[in-house]
Amino acid sequence: MRDTALRIVIAEDETLIRRGLQLLLEEAGHDVVAAVGDAGRLREAVAAHAPDLVVTDIRMPPTHTDEGLLAALAIRAAHPATGVVVLSQHVQRSYARELLSSGAGGVGYLLKQRISDIETFLHDLAAVATGATVLDPEVVAVMVDRASRAASAVGCLTPRQREVLALVAEGCSNASIAAKLFLTEKAVVQHMSRIYDALGLPADADVHRRVQAVIHYLDDA
Amino acid sequence: MTRSHGGRSVPVRSALARSLDRALAMVAVLAGILGAVYLALIPVEDPARPLIAASAVMFWVYVGIGVVAWQRRPSNPLGMLIVLAGVMIHLGTVGNTGVPFLVAVGAVCATLILPAMLHLLLAFPTGYLITWPARAVVIAGYTLSTALQAPQYLFDADGPAPDLVIVDAPDLAAAALSVQVAAGAVVMGATVVILVGRLRRADAAHRRVLVPLFSYGIFAAVATPLSGRLVWAPLGVDPLIGIAAQYLVITGVPVAFALGMLRGGFARTGQLEELGTWLGTAAASRELLSAALARALGDPSLELYFWAAARGCFVDADGHPAPAPAAHRGWAQIVLDGRVIGAIEYDRALLVDEELVRTAGNVVAIAVDRERLTAELRANRRALLRSRERLVEAADRERRRIARDLHDGLQAQLVMLAVDAQRLASADPDAVHARATRLRHDIDTAAADLRRLVHDLVPAALIERGLFAAAEELADRMPIPTRLVGAVGVLGDAIADTAYFVIAEGLTNVVKHSQAGSAVVRLEVHGDELVLDLRDDGIGGAQVERGTGLRGLADRVDAAGGTFALTSTPTEGTRLCVTLPCGS
Repeated sequence: MRDTALRIVIAEDETLIRRGLQLLLEEAGHDVVAAVGDAGRLREAVAAHAPDLVVTDIRMPPTHTDEGLLAALAIRAAHPATGVVVLSQHVQRSYARELLSSGAGGVGYLLKQRISDIETFLHDLAAVATGATVLDPEVVAVMVDRASRAASAVGCLTPRQREVLALVAEGCSNASIAAKLFLTEKAVVQHMSRIYDALGLPADADVHRRVQAVIHYLDDA
Repeated sequence: MTRSHGGRSVPVRSALARSLDRALAMVAVLAGILGAVYLALIPVEDPARPLIAASAVMFWVYVGIGVVAWQRRPSNPLGMLIVLAGVMIHLGTVGNTGVPFLVAVGAVCATLILPAMLHLLLAFPTGYLITWPARAVVIAGYTLSTALQAPQYLFDADGPAPDLVIVDAPDLAAAALSVQVAAGAVVMGATVVILVGRLRRADAAHRRVLVPLFSYGIFAAVATPLSGRLVWAPLGVDPLIGIAAQYLVITGVPVAFALGMLRGGFARTGQLEELGTWLGTAAASRELLSAALARALGDPSLELYFWAAARGCFVDADGHPAPAPAAHRGWAQIVLDGRVIGAIEYDRALLVDEELVRTAGNVVAIAVDRERLTAELRANRRALLRSRERLVEAADRERRRIARDLHDGLQAQLVMLAVDAQRLASADPDAVHARATRLRHDIDTAAADLRRLVHDLVPAALIERGLFAAAEELADRMPIPTRLVGAVGVLGDAIADTAYFVIAEGLTNVVKHSQAGSAVVRLEVHGDELVLDLRDDGIGGAQVERGTGLRGLADRVDAAGGTFALTSTPTEGTRLCVTLPCGS
């Protein structure tokens, strides 16, 4: 992975996790330019280093509420070249909505425990650094479940179509959806067009834009 | 007024009342001494001695009855007026002693008893001369019997007090007497007019007392000056017998007034006054209050009940509901500021006048309300203690549940993970990769369990984003369509926690019991109140009394100073409406 080495800033107030994360990223060949423990110093570090990627916890000192998320949104607005991955003990719909609201991509929202699946985690980081959008399967599951219970077209989808829809919302490409569901890419495309018809969404090949559209649809349901 | 001390009744009187008692006792003793001195001074050889002695008895009767009435109704001056009338009589008769100075005094005061009687008549029953005609008549009466009395002893050498004569002019004295008699007749006529007017305005109950009293009073006032001249002399009766009869009539006057004042329909003023005194003096307790009412109204079977708003019924001092009154029992409600605060149950045979009972109740209304509030406070305190116990129990139960979850779940998982990790150390190198990955998955599962446990205690959204975000998350994860509407800003932690608890428990109940197809959570701030409205379209039947869930909710809302309302019907589902104070 030397060729895609990223310059990364870590913000996490738990020393143990901060060190572990740093170790993990450095072992993967990335360059951790700063590892800080609160949102204020995160912003300073980003301003100082202009990193490719920020990995930040949501809850940090001094208020231990949502300063990590607010810092992430501010960084996305001020530094469009810097991707942001927000980690949280617990995912919820409103955070996904806010992170996607900029519409510019380059954001990730993952459960903190996803770190342990190192390979997937590193892959997601790399994707966000290149402008993709990655959402945790759990938050997507909450949104799809909710939308299918509500009186929306999601409830009319087949279970397989819902699986495909969830993977789209998580930010997967057609190829990776095909791999995960053991389908051909052609079958995935067929599923996609039926889903788009059912939901009345415009077909879009761009992975990032279709995440935006699907999440927006699910959130409004 | 009595207070029960170990079953014995002892009078309760204020320091002021005891002081009055002592002063009145001294008045009585003084009257006794004056009468005795008078008796001692009567010349032994006087043939009319028994009659003259009777005038002392008359004086004593007036003072005695006056003192009793004064003591029983301290704020009513009638008692004092009766005592004063006795003094007038005494002054008018001291001349009988033959002592020159006292003879002069007797001559000056000879007719003062007449205006004193008019005064009593016109001041009944309050003791005050309230209207101006009454005042004018009384002043005229006193003027007649002092100013127009003067010529009799100043100008008549053969008159009652030869020592006081300045010019002997019997014609002048006679002329003055005629004027006095004529004017006296006018005053008397005016008195009769006033009294008849009062009789006509009085109601039937009062008239029963007023008619005999006024008739007797007027009769006495007219008979006193005239009888000797007009009745006894023409009939040729011994003047001494005539005077004796006159004394008897005059002696009856205070008896009549005292009876009219203490008994009869005019007792009300006195009873109410007595209650007023009791309010001012006694350190009231419930037993004392009903006892004071029973005593003042003269019905020992009287019962006092308090209105218990929370229970919607009347209760006695111990909080037991009042039984339905029997047929012969009366029921008078006590009203304060337009609110019913209590009721008096009484014997209709003993107390005919319901209005009197009601008025007496209203006199002690504030005391009754205080007793009622005290009783309510006691009941609230008991409810508060019970609620606190339940909250502590709920916290204990929750702690035990967390301990059990940690022990049965996480601890067991960690033990098995440790075993797996150790087995990995001695595993076949080819299998290490797959087993390590599985171990990682198992650890993820344990971590997820722990996360859920922590989240159930305090949800991350509540800490990070406040109540609305946390409520949204609850709604998102409901298995039935659940809408969250409204908006709230930043709230205090305690209120947000309580509100979250209510929503979480409420939605749990919806899922568990309601069989609802959908639910709506409304969160709004109205003024300084957070209003939380949770509805479902399920089968209803939810009750606070049933189970611990809703009871626990009600307790927590209560502890936060909020209100809790639950309506649950099969047709309209269940609605839980909670308000919590969120002002600064």
